[in-house]
Amino acid sequence: MVNNEYLPFRSEILEVIKHAELEYTFRMSYDRGDEHPVKPGQFFEISIPKYGEAPISVSGITDHSLDFTIRRVGSLTDEIFENYVGDYFFMRGPYGNGFDVNMFKGKEIILVAGGSGLSPIHGVIDYFADHMDECKKLTVIVGFKSPDDILFKEDQKRWAEKGISLITTVDRAPEGYTGHVGMVTKYIPDLTFEDMPNAISVVVGPPPMIKFSILELKKIGFDVENIWLSESRKMCCGLGKCGHCRIGDIYICQDGPVFKYTKISSMID
Amino acid sequence: MGYQLSRRALADAFKSWSGTYDVYAPTVFAGTGRFSETDVIRYGKVTDPADIVWDARSDYSFKEILIPVCQVLFYFTEHSVQESEFPKKGAIIFLRSCDLHAVKRLDYMFLQNGPEDYYYKTLRDKVKFVVMGCDHTFDGCFCVSMGTNVSTNYDAAVNFKDGMYYVDCPDETLAAALKNHAEGTCDVTADHVEKDDVEVHIPDNLTSAIAKSSIWDEYDKRCIKCGRCTLACPTCTCWSMQDIFYTENGKAGERRRVQTSCMFDDYTLVAGGGCFRQKAGERMRFKVLHKVLDFKKRAGFQMCVGCGRCDAICPEYISLTHCINEKLPQGMKEVLENGQ
Amino acid sequence: MDMNCGKLKKYAFRVTKHRDVASARVRVPGGSLNAKILGQIQYIAETYGNGDVHLTIRQGFEILGIPFDKVEEVKKALQPIIDELDINQSERGAGFEASGTRNVMACIGNRVCPFGNYDTTALAKRIEKAIFPNDLHVKVALTGCPNDCDKVRMHDFGIMGMTEPQFDPTRCVSCGMCVRKCKQLSVEALHMKNFRPVRNVEKCIGCGVCVWACPNRAWTRSKEQYFRITLLGRSGKKNPRMGVDFIKWADADSVVKIVSNVYAFAKKYIDPTAPGGKEHIGYMVDRTGPEEFIKFILQDVHLPKKAEIYRPLNWSGIRYVGLKSEPFYVGKDVNPADLDVFQKPLPLK
Repeated sequence: MVNNEYLPFRSEILEVIKHAELEYTFRMSYDRGDEHPVKPGQFFEISIPKYGEAPISVSGITDHSLDFTIRRVGSLTDEIFENYVGDYFFMRGPYGNGFDVNMFKGKEIILVAGGSGLSPIHGVIDYFADHMDECKKLTVIVGFKSPDDILFKEDQKRWAEKGISLITTVDRAPEGYTGHVGMVTKYIPDLTFEDMPNAISVVVGPPPMIKFSILELKKIGFDVENIWLSESRKMCCGLGKCGHCRIGDIYICQDGPVFKYTKISSMID
Repeated sequence: MGYQLSRRALADAFKSWSGTYDVYAPTVFAGTGRFSETDVIRYGKVTDPADIVWDARSDYSFKEILIPVCQVLFYFTEHSVQESEFPKKGAIIFLRSCDLHAVKRLDYMFLQNGPEDYYYKTLRDKVKFVVMGCDHTFDGCFCVSMGTNVSTNYDAAVNFKDGMYYVDCPDETLAAALKNHAEGTCDVTADHVEKDDVEVHIPDNLTSAIAKSSIWDEYDKRCIKCGRCTLACPTCTCWSMQDIFYTENGKAGERRRVQTSCMFDDYTLVAGGGCFRQKAGERMRFKVLHKVLDFKKRAGFQMCVGCGRCDAICPEYISLTHCINEKLPQGMKEVLENGQ
Repeated sequence: MDMNCGKLKKYAFRVTKHRDVASARVRVPGGSLNAKILGQIQYIAETYGNGDVHLTIRQGFEILGIPFDKVEEVKKALQPIIDELDINQSERGAGFEASGTRNVMACIGNRVCPFGNYDTTALAKRIEKAIFPNDLHVKVALTGCPNDCDKVRMHDFGIMGMTEPQFDPTRCVSCGMCVRKCKQLSVEALHMKNFRPVRNVEKCIGCGVCVWACPNRAWTRSKEQYFRITLLGRSGKKNPRMGVDFIKWADADSVVKIVSNVYAFAKKYIDPTAPGGKEHIGYMVDRTGPEEFIKFILQDVHLPKKAEIYRPLNWSGIRYVGLKSEPFYVGKDVNPADLDVFQKPLPLK
């Protein structure tokens, strides 16, 4: 008998972390990890029946829980934001290839993220925060619109304490703001490498941010073969069936969402 | 060896099958056309062989049986979900050779591209295919060009001549009833066409670089994004998920999947308003290249089966065959010249 | 030259401004004809007339420049046309009678037009059969859909084709095209709810645009063809006005019966002093009031259950000075302010 992949399971909200007015992290119970282990960069279809489903990246993974950082942008997420600890969502997944932390091991890692683009790589950062000896160096450049939009403040503090080189920047800030101000691209030229040809980079965020970040990386001589992206598209299934996420001969949900830049850069939507 | 049956005899065979199977075939839905007092030929349950349309191509394809236009996946209450029920009977589908080739495309999408699709698989396992012999080509068919004019992997094949049905039936389940009701036996080979009036030639040098050519611009103004080409296509499979609720308090409802089209505005629309391919020409490019390039890259065989339905149904007279034969070579020439 | 002008006119000839010269008029019921008729028109025009033909406002031909002494020959020459068009006549070879009731006009209808909800020409011919020949002045026009390309509201009876859209949710792909087109081209009677269109039955005018727009046959037409009947529009030198809605969702049988019924009313109420025995029905109704008129035209009419009858009926329009009788409603329980704008010349200072 074929498994019915469309039937969701119920998951309890264990904790709600409010980062910003429109962005919360929901920590959901997950006890299927033995059978269905979850990797950073994978996603689940999360739903509240009657409001529909949406593909959401996993932003944190523990033995019994998964974090989903959700931006309130539509009727489903409006409804999701009405839910609290002890309530339930329906979920199915994990879907997509996700990041294999092994590919980063022993390397200098540059992670560039814009806004909620931090979610898919959050798990990667968490892993190396606990295993700093497994990589040469980890630099995270993350940009938000304004100081009020900064996500994962607590996590960032923890990451910095663990020795991650973290640059948190905002597009604009009120006077008197002491942190970094400017686009993420501003900080790419300042990066220093011991062994640039073997360094690895991941860029995640809105399309213009990705485009200009890669331009900057190219400018400093970074090998494009070592750049990775995480794509997002409309997806109704996560199973290679609904067709919405196709670009050329690629299905984002099946072949991605994590791609080598050189694989996806020539594709036209 | 095949069987010869009159209308009455075949109707009796239908009756014998009806315990386990519903027979679906192209049939006339009178007066349901886009214009008043016009008919539509599409798939419906048939009990009388005389209701099967032989002298024309169906406007819409058989795919509606395997991937219903609207299919409930499950019913939900606040805390639980319950799978929807499937038809108790299997389906015997009368279809043309090109359409049986389209089944291979559907199978690829639903059984191979990613995990097997539970709903498709459940329906698919209970289907028998009966090929309707084509003794002539229809206006706009190009099956020969796409290599779909001959089928051999059918459960049965029927030729219809002078009021008699001649059936070749390798499938033993179906054969039993045919044997019982047959008025004679004879050798039967499914009719097929060797030559269509329309031929298409997919350029050998076609690559995705053509996406950047200007051949698509013309469609920005011509195409109205209605999606008829994809809805009528036997190989288009896209669908969207819909949740609806039945009660005022919204605590019970259903989740269903509904056919959609890459021509529709909401096809790539994500929460928050992002949308790829706003222009009709971009959507045309997305569809055409899927049919004759991208699908093959992934699956190893062409998607388009040359049934001609998209050309026949387009209200703006946009022709896929014209696009393949005239536009694609022109577009490749353009991008190759620009590349040099 | 001695000519009985009344008799000449009765056989659809016009007494023209040229002495001893008539023109022959040929009506084409429903506006459609086989092209071979054009050959016969040409023959008559070149053989008996001056070679010119005027296309009439009411979808006919006026063959010009026919000397009075050729009239009888022309009547004979018209016979193949009369036969081909199946026009009612009393005596073969004697032309056709047609002076009061005018040609039943039709837009091109569903024989050609994507929006036409019925075969306008066929119904026009059916009405023609029911009401011709007749001396009384009655104008009937048919149009395929509520777009009213035939301008039927300018006639005594305006017939607009309608369909009752049928929705099959199992074929709906939620594309929203019906909603968009209803809004753009019609009355915005549709909106989306739960991914499906919902039809406002009150608002819907049965134009069929949703059926035309639907890409997947979720919207289809009703088996029954329906009609909106409008009443008593007219041009003229007294009180030109648009016809008003009388019945929505009428059927074809009722349409034919209602139109046929008008003659009994007109016979009873026509102004005996009307010049040439011709008077617009509307002026009679202005004297009797609409209720009396409706009583006559609904005689033995069996409307479908869906049919809605509009009441009260109020006309407005332009009122030139010198109108002989005041409309019935003056002094009754109707506020003229509700009846649209009355155009009257400003008083001299």
